Amino acid sequence: MKLYKKAGNTIQILSFPGEDVNKGCYLLIEDKGSNKSMIVQVVDIQFANVPGIMEELLRDSFDDETVYGENIDPLDITSHILYIQDARLLICKIHGTVNDGKLVLDNSWLPSRTHSKIRRLSIQSLINLTGFNGGLPIFLGETDELTRFMIDAHALDGKLNIITGKKGTGKSHLSKMLVLGLIDHKATVIILDLNGEYTHLGLTSDGKENQYYKKIHVLTPGFNLRVTLPQIGLSVMLKVLIYALNLPGTSSREFRRIWRALDEKRCLSLHELGEAIRSWNCNQNVKDALFSRYYTMLHSNFFTDNAVEAVILEEVFRKTENGGAIVINLSDASPTDRQIVVEYLLGKLQELLSQEKIRPVFFFAEEAHLYLRETYWDDVVTRMRHLGVFTTFITNQPNTIQENIYRQADNVFLFNFINEHDLEIVSRAAKVDVETAVSIVRDLPPRHCLVLGSVVKDFPIVVKVRELDVQTRGETRLFFAESQIQQMSIT
Amino acid sequence: MLVIEHLHYATTSRYNFPQPVDNFQLPQKIIALSIDSMKNLKGDFFQPYEVDCPELTLGKQEEKSATLNGKVFTTQLTPLKPIIDDTPIIAIDVSSIKIGETETGILCAIRGAVVWSRRRQYSYFKLGPFPFHINEENKKEVINLLRGYHFPVSGSTDLIDVQAKLCNLMEKWIQMNICCSSNNSIILWDGSLTAGTSSNPLDVISLFLKMARERFNSVLAFSKMSKIRFLGHKITDLFLKYPPPWLFEVEETPFSPTLHLLGNVYIARFRSNGYSFRLDIDRIVPIEQKIDAVQRLIGNDLVFQSYPESLRLAHIYSTFTANEVIGIQHYIAHKFRLKALTRRNVRKMLFGPFGTRFDD
Repeated sequence: MKLYKKAGNTIQILSFPGEDVNKGCYLLIEDKGSNKSMIVQVVDIQFANVPGIMEELLRDSFDDETVYGENIDPLDITSHILYIQDARLLICKIHGTVNDGKLVLDNSWLPSRTHSKIRRLSIQSLINLTGFNGGLPIFLGETDELTRFMIDAHALDGKLNIITGKKGTGKSHLSKMLVLGLIDHKATVIILDLNGEYTHLGLTSDGKENQYYKKIHVLTPGFNLRVTLPQIGLSVMLKVLIYALNLPGTSSREFRRIWRALDEKRCLSLHELGEAIRSWNCNQNVKDALFSRYYTMLHSNFFTDNAVEAVILEEVFRKTENGGAIVINLSDASPTDRQIVVEYLLGKLQELLSQEKIRPVFFFAEEAHLYLRETYWDDVVTRMRHLGVFTTFITNQPNTIQENIYRQADNVFLFNFINEHDLEIVSRAAKVDVETAVSIVRDLPPRHCLVLGSVVKDFPIVVKVRELDVQTRGETRLFFAESQIQQMSIT
Repeated sequence: MLVIEHLHYATTSRYNFPQPVDNFQLPQKIIALSIDSMKNLKGDFFQPYEVDCPELTLGKQEEKSATLNGKVFTTQLTPLKPIIDDTPIIAIDVSSIKIGETETGILCAIRGAVVWSRRRQYSYFKLGPFPFHINEENKKEVINLLRGYHFPVSGSTDLIDVQAKLCNLMEKWIQMNICCSSNNSIILWDGSLTAGTSSNPLDVISLFLKMARERFNSVLAFSKMSKIRFLGHKITDLFLKYPPPWLFEVEETPFSPTLHLLGNVYIARFRSNGYSFRLDIDRIVPIEQKIDAVQRLIGNDLVFQSYPESLRLAHIYSTFTANEVIGIQHYIAHKFRLKALTRRNVRKMLFGPFGTRFDD
């Protein structure tokens, strides 16, 4: 390999056939003269602009089908010509300098073109240099050098993470891996499970109980996730009514009065609430508005007057003290019910955390735009994070996550994207170099992920996510597969 | 985008060279000379030539410029009718290129190409590239080799001329092999049938033509550029108003006493959207056979732009691309452990872009 050009933080390197270089790998440019080495990452591989290549290809195009021939080349010069023809230009991004064996972020110097030696820097060597493989490892998979790749759970602690990529590339798979990795380190994880794909994390792929079986607590709204009105409290109930059920301001004020009246009488229940609205002396339109919300709440089956049926969140959290996940199964919930549940959950979570009744939690939200109201996005990165809710967003529609979330994300796990618009959005993340993200992510095969941010000390690394022996339930049901099975069973 | 004309190549079902070509003999001496000359490479470095310099390629032969007298210029226009049969068309071309300089000499490379066309199916045979290191020490060896094959060479020949002569020797070698191994074919040469020059010795060319005639071959030599003029006009620019295909014979052109026209000189134009070329056809062949050969050429080969496709392909396959020059330079650097040092372009240093190039 030969150093060719440098412009800004981009270095171009000429590479020849036989040199094992792929997109995403790291190279070390060693300049013995200055006793310094530069760490660069290959973000794109192009054909070298060899003079006369067009004539060569035009001439060779005859050879394919129309003109057949033979070369008498006793000196085997053709192999040298082909060697030049196959020369590649590596577009690399500078990531730092190794000075006396120490990594420094000094990109201002220029290595010698003639005396520099360029060699591949293994991920293991990079890890040794940066020391990002810390004390609480989560095994993610392997690098393209087939070495095990782990991240440190500390790097997820207190951080905002995004997992994104197009459909079917393995986002949920990675998310489950992070969840289980965090449970291994005794963390509490809350998952808003839109498709019911986390509910069987406690089972192996062949249906047997695994080590996580007793640590996965699935709560399904309307079944084992129900709350009484006193549990929910007025402030959370108002959020549910205003944000999830769009109750107008005037009606909200009347509702507050009704609630307080019932609370003073110590008869706060669904039944009493219904009766109170019926007998409340107020405008008929307000009464109608309150009734319509009341019946929606009633039909959601999320609320109950039976204290035995109601779940006490603090108790569920207590079960996860040695590590565990609370999976909120939203798969069968209507959009309105989902919003009611999420409003309740987030409100309750903030309340418990601010009172320090529970430990900080890792919060995994799949396709959050489907249930998270506008104003929560800012809360997630500011107030809630300070309280101890460390969110990971998982989505295949990057435009559904607000730009400020990208800008403040500490870790980004990028799977394949082809769409230019999607690539443009994900490249807004502060931890992403636009060229690196666009070029590498575009060519990522399924189950391969570009890891960016604190977990890799800002050295983007491509990882092949490992297999997971759990029942994922995230796979799409297929019509033809099922109809074939049915046909087979008929015959 | 406007498509003016499409070339239609029929696909080659299998590799099927004409039978006599299977016995094609490699110019072993040229290969040996190439290897031996490269062994003489001494020193630590060589200066590769910049690959985009057009002056690197040498013309194989220079046609003597001649102005024809109006009185002796009698003409005969012969309309042509393509004859379609299975006559094989065989075209030969050779190229050489300067690769660089060493402390003691020059580095060049030569490659030859033969293209066969039968029923408009094309096959080719590339010979080389052969790199040569020519210095004062091995120049004599080259000259002796040339003299051994009846090529008159002066002992004071420049090194750069040796390159052209080696290229010419290889071309003659291939021409000889084709002439004596093909039957009932049309053989296309690049250039003219003017003999009596150091690159076209009379006895050598006469022998080749004789060998070709004995095997019922017809040799047609095409010149891309002709300097022959009539009343101040290039002969290839004349008679454009006649609808092609036609041959226009130029008779009894006065040349220097040392030069011999072994062929009749024609202006040939085969396509209305093409160019006119000077065409030399073996003088001894009867006129009917000459016309027949040309008619079979245009019937059995593509003549896009009036130029035979076989000869065009032979030229394409023999010439060196910039990429190949770099490849050969890489071979020399790698094989003989020489370091390539970029030669300073004195013209560019002195004049910048003025009269040089706009690149860099």
